Amino acid sequence: MKISNKQFAEALYELTIGLNASDLDIVLKNFVGLLAKKHKIKQTNNIIAEFETILKKKQGIVELEVTSARDLDTEIIKKIKESFGKEVFVQEKIDKNLIGGIRVKIEDKILDASVKTQLANLKKSLTI
Amino acid sequence: MSTNQVIEELKKHISAFQKTVEVEEVGTVIEVGDGIARMSGLTSCQSQEMLEFPGGIMGVALNLEEETVGAMILGEYEKIKEGDTVKRTGRILSVPVGEKVIGRVVNALGQAIDGKGDIVTKEFYPIEKTAPGVMSRQPVGVPVQTGIKAIDAMIPIGRGQRELIIGDRQTGKTAIAIDAIINQKGQNMKCIYVAIGQKESKVARIVAKLEENGAMEYTTVVVAGASDPAAMSFIAPYAGVTMAEYFADKGEDVLIVYDDLTKQAWAYREISLLLRRPPGREAYPGDVFYLHSRLLERACNLNKEHGGGSITALPIIETQASDVTAYIPTNVISITDGQIFLETDLFFKGIRPAVNVGISVSRVGGAAQTKPMKKVSGKIKLALAQYRELEAFAQFASDLDVETKKQLDRGARVVELMKQPQYSPMHVEDQVASIFAVDSGYFDDVAVTDILKTEEKFLDFVRGGHQSLLEKISKGEWDDSIIADLKGVCEEFKK
Repeated sequence: MKISNKQFAEALYELTIGLNASDLDIVLKNFVGLLAKKHKIKQTNNIIAEFETILKKKQGIVELEVTSARDLDTEIIKKIKESFGKEVFVQEKIDKNLIGGIRVKIEDKILDASVKTQLANLKKSLTI
Repeated sequence: MSTNQVIEELKKHISAFQKTVEVEEVGTVIEVGDGIARMSGLTSCQSQEMLEFPGGIMGVALNLEEETVGAMILGEYEKIKEGDTVKRTGRILSVPVGEKVIGRVVNALGQAIDGKGDIVTKEFYPIEKTAPGVMSRQPVGVPVQTGIKAIDAMIPIGRGQRELIIGDRQTGKTAIAIDAIINQKGQNMKCIYVAIGQKESKVARIVAKLEENGAMEYTTVVVAGASDPAAMSFIAPYAGVTMAEYFADKGEDVLIVYDDLTKQAWAYREISLLLRRPPGREAYPGDVFYLHSRLLERACNLNKEHGGGSITALPIIETQASDVTAYIPTNVISITDGQIFLETDLFFKGIRPAVNVGISVSRVGGAAQTKPMKKVSGKIKLALAQYRELEAFAQFASDLDVETKKQLDRGARVVELMKQPQYSPMHVEDQVASIFAVDSGYFDDVAVTDILKTEEKFLDFVRGGHQSLLEKISKGEWDDSIIADLKGVCEEFKK
């Protein structure tokens, strides 16, 4: 059976949870050995990426991507962080096309409160 | 409305506008190429849902897998890159339907491509829809007059029937379908011609021909050209039948031609292989039968409680070297209610339309034939069958008995009578009159090569002095007095 990157990452997470440093070394060594045996060495980076998402999910870390037209105040960023949970990492992006407002990306959802989208909606409501 | 009023109206609209935060579900493109894309994310994506790629390019989700979603792209996939954000739309692929599409040339998405402006309709129907069930159908009972003698007489088609037109390339498959569309003028029929994977030049020629014959007034042409992506060829027939369903729901009769389904199957095979679905026989995916059966099942004859509309389907299949036992031809033969076989040999012998009457059948159309046609065609079917049997045998025999000779002569004349040039459909009453004349032996003394000329003269003669008789026949009346009258007319003509 084909084992997906996600399955490898999940296995690694479950094995490594709560281990001390010396045990971790052995587990990691064995894990890399398994990857080599299954011809998955090339996928290492993807497995690490999957591992990171699993880790964040389990530890309740939320990752946000906030896009705005201009640089945002630290005050606003703080407010956004507060409304999404305790541990929030924010990646800021500037996109002049938005005109104003913000767009927040969380996992595979986008919350769109940009002026650009509002204007597009207004246009739609006026044309029909 | 004055300017001020307009401004007030706009102000009202704008002040009433509610700001909302839009929640969009998105995914990321992992892999793209050859008209398909593979994406991660899109966790609650539906099957057959439309997806929006950057730049307004649309896609349709086909494969929903554990980690990824596979989609075919409708449009220019070259512009999509790895890492692009893909949005869900929550809509199933739909096409515009309504009276406005009549007389237009549209692509598989229902967008106008004839340069006569955009098509604005109130309604959109999803292209995939379950076919009407048992309780909403009734048996076929009203004929579709194709205007082609060989078909109307011997392989009759009823409204709501699915009749396959099958043959090699260059045997006149499209010609039969186009003639049938042209003959629907004044017959209360809407027509839809779906061109799948055809040369744009051929489609342009067909549209010009339809316009010339005044057939575009009731016809829609749906085109997925040879240069369009495979996804377009795949969805074009569904788009066509969706437009037809709008009229059928309103109780109207529709004739739809799929030209041809072989190319649709090829397009679907291409998409399926790119999506890495396992190939089966002839490399088609396992559900290629369902591809055609769900399409053709949507042809229907609805009963009175459901509006009484109908969709008659004329699918076309192109065979390679007359091989009807290939995968797609056998599938479609088994789905349809009969088939019209066209043969290269007959075509080159000058028998055009090159219909092989011996192996062509119409399983349900007989019930829809008008009474006069049913009566006269029964006899010629027999005459032709006997002729074919004797024909081979007669090649070796030098002297034949009188009875055999008579049968051979009659058969040769019937075969000659069934010839008909393209774009010249005939009224059913004319067909009945000329078939009756030949069958009753009035043309036995005419040279075989002169049959068609004599037929024309005969029909002119009947139309000249006996119009009322033709009208009676066209109404479906047939009794001894009409037979006697017809005989009288034939005898009068012979003098």
